Amino acid sequence: MDLKFLIVDDSMTMRRIVINSLRNLGYGNFVEAGDGKEALDKLAVDTTINFIITDWNMPVFSGLELIKAIRSDPKVAHIPVLMVTTRGIKEDIIEALKAKVNNYIVKPFTPHILKEKIEQILAIAS
Amino acid sequence: MKSATNLSELFEKLDDLKTVFRYGEKLIPVIQGLVDFMRDTVPLLENINSSISESTSKIPKATNQISNVTSATELATTEILDIIDIISNDISTAETAISSLIKIEKEKVEILSVIKTLVGGNEKVDALFERYEKINYVNPILAPLTELLEKTRTNVYNITLSLQVQDITAQQLASVNHLIESVQERLTSLVIDFEVTNVSVLDSSVIQVPQNTTFDPNARYSKSVDQQDAADELVKDHHNRTSQDEIDKLFS
Repeated sequence: MDLKFLIVDDSMTMRRIVINSLRNLGYGNFVEAGDGKEALDKLAVDTTINFIITDWNMPVFSGLELIKAIRSDPKVAHIPVLMVTTRGIKEDIIEALKAKVNNYIVKPFTPHILKEKIEQILAIAS
Repeated sequence: MKSATNLSELFEKLDDLKTVFRYGEKLIPVIQGLVDFMRDTVPLLENINSSISESTSKIPKATNQISNVTSATELATTEILDIIDIISNDISTAETAISSLIKIEKEKVEILSVIKTLVGGNEKVDALFERYEKINYVNPILAPLTELLEKTRTNVYNITLSLQVQDITAQQLASVNHLIESVQERLTSLVIDFEVTNVSVLDSSVIQVPQNTTFDPNARYSKSVDQQDAADELVKDHHNRTSQDEIDKLFS
């Protein structure tokens, strides 16, 4: 399956680190967004995006709001979402899971964890 | 008779008045002390107000400096990532070149083997072949070089991963800025309270904290896997529960 990732993070540094990591894992198709609102705009125009990696804390529209918006839109609700965030407390993780995030990574992440979570999501999806 | 009664009442009143005056005499120093104390307190309050105002006026500078640190580290991190990209590309170029060299080397060995079969048997020619093979066989040099490049690539990538610290510290600094803003608000309200008491008030400055900044106050750079393990457990539980719910729905 060819994956086209949408990387959503207000930190340009983090977007580059995630993209570098995905490149190292053999992926090469990426779209970037600086916040949840921009991500929704990208999803609206690019129907080939089939995997979303998002941060939580972002201006304008947070990662959590983004997941809720995605899950309530039948056109994009099926797209898997992996959250990569510094928020590691139980309540936050449960909140993200209730919003129907597919998996959760606490920053700082390692390439091993990133690979593992992507594979877990794809395995469940298939 | 009536006038005697009146006089008696008058003397009583005078006695009362005398008592009041006596009490007043005792009270005056106390009141005077209170007035003196209040008079002394005003400059003290003014000093406190001045100190608060001075501290408050320094806060925007502190928050701006914190914001500058965030911007500077982000810029520096971007520059490091640019350099890392260049190094990674150079490593790829070197790896491709080495891979081509190994391929050429393999072909050379094959050609040499054919030539040896065709013109071999002569002692001098065989000696020359042996000498040529010794100086021309570079695979033992190339193999560790490939490993070295791979190791360098891994190290460079590890630098990239460590740069996540920039995002985490940016959130920590944003959190500190938020705390400072709260302190500023509290101090400013104290200055306003002084103003009500007619004590002179110095201008309080307003902090320019970016309105759109969002942060995790608990963000920390830790290589411990405890939080990830806890997250994994919650995700696993959630998925198991969801799967069970789906099965239950099917059989209900």
